[in-house]
Amino acid sequence: MKKIIVLLFVLMLPVAALADKPKFLEHRYEYKLEDVLKADKYEKKDRYWEAYTAGKLVGYVLLSKDWTKQHVGYAGKHMETLIGFDTKGQITGVKVVFHAEPIVLIGLKEENYDNFMKQYKGMAITQGMSVGNEIKMDAITGATVTAVVQNAIIAESARKVASMSGIIQHAHQKSHKLSKKFEALSWKDLMDSGAVKNIVVTQEEIGQGGKEPYIDLFFGLVAPPSIGKNVLGERAYADAMDTLKEGESAVFIFSNGPGSFKGSGFARGGVFERFNLEQDDKSYVFTDKDYKILTDIAAKGSPALREGGIFIIRAKDFDQSKPFKLKLVIGYRAGNEKKFKPAVSDYKLPDKFMEQ
Amino acid sequence: MSIDRRNFLKYLGMAGAVAGTSLLVSEGIKAKGKDAIGPASAEAQTKPQKHDYEVKPGELDSYYGFWSGGHSGEVRILGLPSMREIKRIPVFNMDVGTGYGITNESKALLKGKFCGDTHHVHGSYKNGVYDGKYLFVNDKLNNRVARIRCDYMEVDKILDVPNIQGMHGLFTQRHPKTEWLVVNSEFQIPVPNNTPSQAPSQYNGCHTVIDAEKMEVVCQILMDENMDLAATDYGGRYSMTTSYNIEKGVTVSEMLGSDYDYMLVFHWDRIKKALSDGKFKMVGGVKVLDGRAGKSDLTIRIKIPKNPHGINVSPDGKYAVCSGKVAPTCSVVAIDKIEDVFNGKIKPEDCIVAQPYIGLGPLHTTFDGKGNAITSVFIDSTNVKWNVQKAIDNEKLPEEKKKNSHIIDVLDVNYQVGHIMATMAETKEADGQWLVSLNKFSKDRFLNVGPLKNECEQLVDITGDKLKIVHDSAAYIEPHDCIIVRRDIIEKVVKDRFNMFENPLAVTKSGVERKGNKVTVKLTANAPVFGLQEVQLKKGDEVTVIVTNHDEISDLGHGFALSNYNINFVVAPFQTKSVTFTADKPGVYWAYCTNFCHALHLEMRMRLIVT
Repeated sequence: MKKIIVLLFVLMLPVAALADKPKFLEHRYEYKLEDVLKADKYEKKDRYWEAYTAGKLVGYVLLSKDWTKQHVGYAGKHMETLIGFDTKGQITGVKVVFHAEPIVLIGLKEENYDNFMKQYKGMAITQGMSVGNEIKMDAITGATVTAVVQNAIIAESARKVASMSGIIQHAHQKSHKLSKKFEALSWKDLMDSGAVKNIVVTQEEIGQGGKEPYIDLFFGLVAPPSIGKNVLGERAYADAMDTLKEGESAVFIFSNGPGSFKGSGFARGGVFERFNLEQDDKSYVFTDKDYKILTDIAAKGSPALREGGIFIIRAKDFDQSKPFKLKLVIGYRAGNEKKFKPAVSDYKLPDKFMEQ
Repeated sequence: MSIDRRNFLKYLGMAGAVAGTSLLVSEGIKAKGKDAIGPASAEAQTKPQKHDYEVKPGELDSYYGFWSGGHSGEVRILGLPSMREIKRIPVFNMDVGTGYGITNESKALLKGKFCGDTHHVHGSYKNGVYDGKYLFVNDKLNNRVARIRCDYMEVDKILDVPNIQGMHGLFTQRHPKTEWLVVNSEFQIPVPNNTPSQAPSQYNGCHTVIDAEKMEVVCQILMDENMDLAATDYGGRYSMTTSYNIEKGVTVSEMLGSDYDYMLVFHWDRIKKALSDGKFKMVGGVKVLDGRAGKSDLTIRIKIPKNPHGINVSPDGKYAVCSGKVAPTCSVVAIDKIEDVFNGKIKPEDCIVAQPYIGLGPLHTTFDGKGNAITSVFIDSTNVKWNVQKAIDNEKLPEEKKKNSHIIDVLDVNYQVGHIMATMAETKEADGQWLVSLNKFSKDRFLNVGPLKNECEQLVDITGDKLKIVHDSAAYIEPHDCIIVRRDIIEKVVKDRFNMFENPLAVTKSGVERKGNKVTVKLTANAPVFGLQEVQLKKGDEVTVIVTNHDEISDLGHGFALSNYNINFVVAPFQTKSVTFTADKPGVYWAYCTNFCHALHLEMRMRLIVT
């Protein structure tokens, strides 16, 4: 009997996810490959097309669902996107083929979505492509979850294909195992070593005067015992590590100041739209299923915290021993206008927390 | 009861002062009144402590408090130290908000009985500390035990217990883990209860042992005495109870007849052996062993002055403290001497290592984990902090005992305390941070809201020598007892969503199935739509609606309410519930979502068309 239940569970799960979702918000569009990249011949490869003009390779076309299906928007569905870029790694066009984002609920139309997507044309995928920075939210103000996820879909899908075709070359980094050693470290030790990184956005930077931070944010990896145990405390560290499955990792993030990195989007759509991690071509967005609230920091001399969380990276391709970025898009109000301030920090686990 | 409540209390007070002439109450104690100790006063307070009770917006509490709800029939979860009520769990009551008592699943639990009187909530243990698996609570009114799963914080089982009335004093096994729990019967009745003409002298109480996993009665131990509060030791060897009606009285004065009553101890290994030896009779469908005096070796009786009430075991596992109620003392019983009593090596009373004066009407004792006990004193309306070792030592120092030097502080509480409980106090890890005084009267502590008032629960800082009230909170009818559990123990267990397929009814595809006049309407709920927009029914159809919430986002619940059909319930993320009704009213009836879910929550509705 038990076996049958397990089997049913496995069989029914995808069905459950698809069953009876609201259809009235779904939009599916016809598309041709030339919608995103003009060429006279498209050659089908494994999960993308090579585009040729007069026999010469001019670029690549791909469908995002073949590359980044794990990124789902507010509606819990992947926004299928057709993406084209040239051989220099410049985006030639993007087009949404399917989405179910409920932008109508905040008074937006499909043409607003189109306008948002138009910005991508001409962007260099080898460079930054951050929402709030190169990519403006103006067209779909309010639909922050949609914008952040859509951006992750385009950037990550394009970069993955660009890596395969040699446009992006990554310096080969050797992967290391994390050290299991524990050393008692104070907050200052952790900061000095680079085990904990800090991002500050001042009031001044968002045009609100004053040198005080609008947000003063700290983050780091949970798993290395000399980081996690010192930051979270023995008990909370053990509890956090207990919840991680094989191959999963976690970061802690906490902040002070009036600005919020958590926002409230996760309360509605489940997605944290104000921050994500990036490593190589990959982008990691978090949902409320990956989140555990963090309210106390154990490390000696640590600052207080106004809000915090432990965020689990479910994807097994994240490598804790390799560099990654934390990207922030902090929302704020200038008068009655909603604005966004991007910020980024590199993180590289110091060698002493790894086995050499 | 012919005497009204206030007069009865006065009567109790008188009895304590006048009739407290038991041999076990020392002369020195009787001569002393509460004035000898002196109430806590503002001047006496220590300097303000850093210990912060304010939980600011965005901060979380450090403890989960699990509260009984008395005759509201529910269990509540409070956060400490904020004392914010975080959740109400319907248990033996009907709750029209969540649909408990309306859905088929909850009806199967309640079996038509939705009056309840919850007294004692206790958690399941592993090695003397809560393991965060279950909570158990008794229903004094309909004699049931409910189990709450801590992962979902909902009731999953209710057990009807036969042969008893006035179910009281639930307690769970503490060591090595909770396999058994016990409940008492405060009211003696004929066992079995099928001879109404039986003389009260033939009535019995039963100590009931329940299997915590199976939620079945393991056995009952038939007693002459009634049994009030219960406790288990930290060794997995005994359950213990107080009895206040060894007289088998059926009126107040009869129950006060004897100068002493008992602390009763039940020997679990001997109970197990008696069961395997087949020494039970089947009564009311359960195995009943005879625990009456002279009938078996399963129990011992330790004389305690007049009508004791609470029994609480110190976190070091050494002592059981019986609070005197009518006697102004607590009796401290050394648990390591109990085995010798069972083996006939010493007399039962030789286990009592101290009997310190506490005040008028000691009811319950809790512990700070630093060797101190704090006892609630009803008639004096105080919490009394005293040192257990000092009380024991003073038994050999008559001068010290006369001075009541075991008493560290006396705190006036507002007003008339019943139970008290300190943080983690019923575990090996009692941490002496906070105490809650569950006072039975609020009187003038809150805005006047008419003759029927809430109770007043006071948060007390117990980190210093002096007890210090830091917060009053109002509590609806009528918590009796609580446990206060460190946050990390529960936090890692409790879930944000149900496992959808744990419920075999879970709907994955909406649709309508008809078999004759039996119609099953299967609905998914996904903000902001139900899986069907309309359902056609015929008058007289027996309709079962099953709703599964397909939203995975934490806290995104949906309601299903059917206009003019008196139906409402809420499904939490991935939860499934069902309801069955007869479509007896022709017409168009809107079903709608009652639990706010989405910007288009108001549009989340569908029609049931009955022709």
